[in-house]
Amino acid sequence: MNWISKQFRNELWSPYAAGILLGIVGILAVWLSDSLLGASGAFERVAGMLGKAVAPTTFNNLYFNTIMPSKISWGVILLVGVILGGTLGAWTSKTLKFRLNDDAQWKAIFGPQVWKRWLIAFLGAIVLEYGAGIAGGCTSGLAISGGMLLAPAAFLFIAAMFASGILTALVVYRSRY
Amino acid sequence: MINYIIALFLGVFFGFSLNKAGLTKYHKIVNVFRFTDMAVLQFMMTSLVVAMSGLYVLRGLGMIKFPNVPATYIAGNLVGGLIFGVGMALTGF
Repeated sequence: MNWISKQFRNELWSPYAAGILLGIVGILAVWLSDSLLGASGAFERVAGMLGKAVAPTTFNNLYFNTIMPSKISWGVILLVGVILGGTLGAWTSKTLKFRLNDDAQWKAIFGPQVWKRWLIAFLGAIVLEYGAGIAGGCTSGLAISGGMLLAPAAFLFIAAMFASGILTALVVYRSRY
Repeated sequence: MINYIIALFLGVFFGFSLNKAGLTKYHKIVNVFRFTDMAVLQFMMTSLVVAMSGLYVLRGLGMIKFPNVPATYIAGNLVGGLIFGVGMALTGF
């Protein structure tokens, strides 16, 4: 019992252990709810709900009406749980803190200004979500959930993601690669 | 209703495992693209293999049926993945 509570307070688990936990979660998601884990779909549904409230005619197209209907779905509740779970993880390891920009490696590359981090995070996240919409999912929804069903789409996505990610890291990090 | 409670419950464990693996930090996500910290790959592949084995065993025992598999449309998946990789390496999310 003591060992378990010590493991909970540890800040960094081996990725294998955390991966086993996520794999079990994935199995339970299909077994208990007949649904797949995923994050980007939930964001798109919430964005659709907000968009339809503000500008109904712009959002009245095929994507937001049938492919990704804008309602509180299983995925949206899952996303709420993810936020809570991440907070719980940080709380049990006493690293829960509201951070503005604290990653040392990021500061070494781009400089310590907070607005730079927030701007790049915002723009990059737009790029990220747009790509996820085209592909039909993000790392959890398409790569892991699709991969565990052995869908070819998942492996295509992982290959493309790593190809462009490595290129981008090369460009950003140049000589310090 | 019970479906949504299960969603919340599973989501907590999802977020918890992501946080404990350290994948919420910029340097962990970006360093996989520089081949210095392979935690992202280890995490993803472990969960994929565990989930795959479990699901196929359960399906073989006849206890579950697979939900809709994500559609394979090559151009979309590849282009989406390329765009996604740029965003991921830039922001570290």
